[in-house]
Amino acid sequence: MAFLEISHLDKSFGANRVVKDFNLSVEQGEFVSLLGPSGCGKTTVLRMVAGFETPSSGNIAIDGRDVVNLRPNQRNIGMVFQAYALFPNLTVAQNVAFGLKVAGRAKAETAARVTEMLALIGLPDLADRYPFQLSGGQQQRVALARALAVQPHLLLLDEPLSALDAKIRASLRTEIREIQQRLGITTVFVTHDQEEALSMSDRIVVMNGGMADQIGTPFEIYNRPRTRFVAGFVGTLSRFEAVVKDPAKGAVSLGKQTITLDQQIDAAAGARVTLALRPEAAHLGRFNGCDVILPGKIAEVHFMGSVIRIKADVDGQLMSLDTFNRAETPPPRIGTEVEISLAARDFIVLSA
Amino acid sequence: MIRIWSWGALIIGMIYFILPLVGMTEFSLSMRRGEYSFDAYAVVLSDSQFQATFSYSVIMALFTIVFGVLLVVPTAYWVRLRMPELRPYVEFITLLPLVIPAIVVVFGYIRLYNTSSWLPMTGTALGTNILLMFGYATLSLPYMYRAVDTGLRAVDVGTLTEAAQSLGASWVTILARIILPNVLAAVLSGAFLTFAIVMGEFTMAALLDRPAFGPYMQLLGANRAYEPSALAVIAFAITWACMGLIQLVTRFTKHTRAQT
Repeated sequence: MAFLEISHLDKSFGANRVVKDFNLSVEQGEFVSLLGPSGCGKTTVLRMVAGFETPSSGNIAIDGRDVVNLRPNQRNIGMVFQAYALFPNLTVAQNVAFGLKVAGRAKAETAARVTEMLALIGLPDLADRYPFQLSGGQQQRVALARALAVQPHLLLLDEPLSALDAKIRASLRTEIREIQQRLGITTVFVTHDQEEALSMSDRIVVMNGGMADQIGTPFEIYNRPRTRFVAGFVGTLSRFEAVVKDPAKGAVSLGKQTITLDQQIDAAAGARVTLALRPEAAHLGRFNGCDVILPGKIAEVHFMGSVIRIKADVDGQLMSLDTFNRAETPPPRIGTEVEISLAARDFIVLSA
Repeated sequence: MIRIWSWGALIIGMIYFILPLVGMTEFSLSMRRGEYSFDAYAVVLSDSQFQATFSYSVIMALFTIVFGVLLVVPTAYWVRLRMPELRPYVEFITLLPLVIPAIVVVFGYIRLYNTSSWLPMTGTALGTNILLMFGYATLSLPYMYRAVDTGLRAVDVGTLTEAAQSLGASWVTILARIILPNVLAAVLSGAFLTFAIVMGEFTMAALLDRPAFGPYMQLLGANRAYEPSALAVIAFAITWACMGLIQLVTRFTKHTRAQT
């Protein structure tokens, strides 16, 4: 049995069913992200695990123990909030010590643990500051230290980086992941930011309309999105309408060409399917290892620094391609006729 | 031109307010013929009745404050946290003491809790004291509730509560260690207002026949010349000291600077 086992979880607020038959198993020491747009139910799932919401039905077990009927203060869960939620009347050290004091730990033990935690988050000199004297990033690190001080079974992070500016967000992202790996603490992370989810997680749960659309490693989620929603939400995709020719061989006709994908297609011959392609899978000009060449016309060019994002018109459908910037090759001009090469195996067939 | 008018209005207002005070203070200092002295104050302060009623009212005020805090802080907290839809109703109830005269309330008390009722609280001095404390708490409710509620508004009550809960804290711990300290300035300003109200309250204490400061002031006022003025100045000083303390407390609460 997994360390955190969520089965058939359901939650309705009045007539509004926000979580629908949600299932998830998280192994000990794993970092799992719940990713989805706002209103997809990811925070509600997290709050039910924390005990702040009661499920309408379903089970939540932590380390083999059913916790649905336990109060939040009985679950031994560390939680970090988007709004930091540091106690404004307590200093940094007192904030970190709060959980230990509540648990009735000895003074010396508490003091040692606070020192250890402040060293862990790299803020050993700020023990006597009040929260209002800290920056957002510092406050969130203290909140993390406070949550970890009590050695919780499970760490829940509710969009902890959303209130921070971009640079701090990126550095804190790395820091949280490092600390999580060093302590080996099982972590559930809620975010609407796909970059955060992809870079931090062992596994990602992409949520849509209260359900888990796909659960997988960041690599799987990005490269093999199973649903149209996942494909659209995680990363950028070009979509093409194609007609199935031979489902068993994976042959489809795209525009005037027939392409053989390296997978069977779950549709009848003559049916229309949507193919998707990541921008980095398409290349300008002839490219080694590519078995499909499509003619196109440059429609848009976005210079983004290290990457140039190009949109090309292929048979009336727009295709995105990413190329790395190289000082000796200027970006193509709009309207130029080009050849676009790609590998048939990179096409993703979108089901739902 | 507008400036002159506003200064004029201000000066007239100040004269209207300050002149009677000056007159009263002057009169309270004129007990000895032909010169200013603190004789009236000396008489008042050495009066055993003054000491008894004053300390009675101080003790009643302290109990009222403790009771008020215990009643209002958890109520206001709970309404903010779990029942925000009840807020208008609770606010309306806390405002009632401003519209219902104290005399009505106290007659209600006497009718409900007299010696032949189901709960004869007026039968003993202790019972009557408790009843009076409830009365005082009712009178100070509009100020206390508003002060605490405003204090709570500045704090993210929901998230702080959840953070404390996830760290293992019980409701009592959350209220005592997180919520109360964060609204302390507000609670204290409510407490000082309560103190001022209790020290000057007449109706309830008189009708419940308790030896409070208010009825003593009235009694002295009816029988003496200079001493009531001295007493009035003392009462004013107490009220103003309370107001000053509110200011001080708000200024010196360390962590609340974050909210500015």
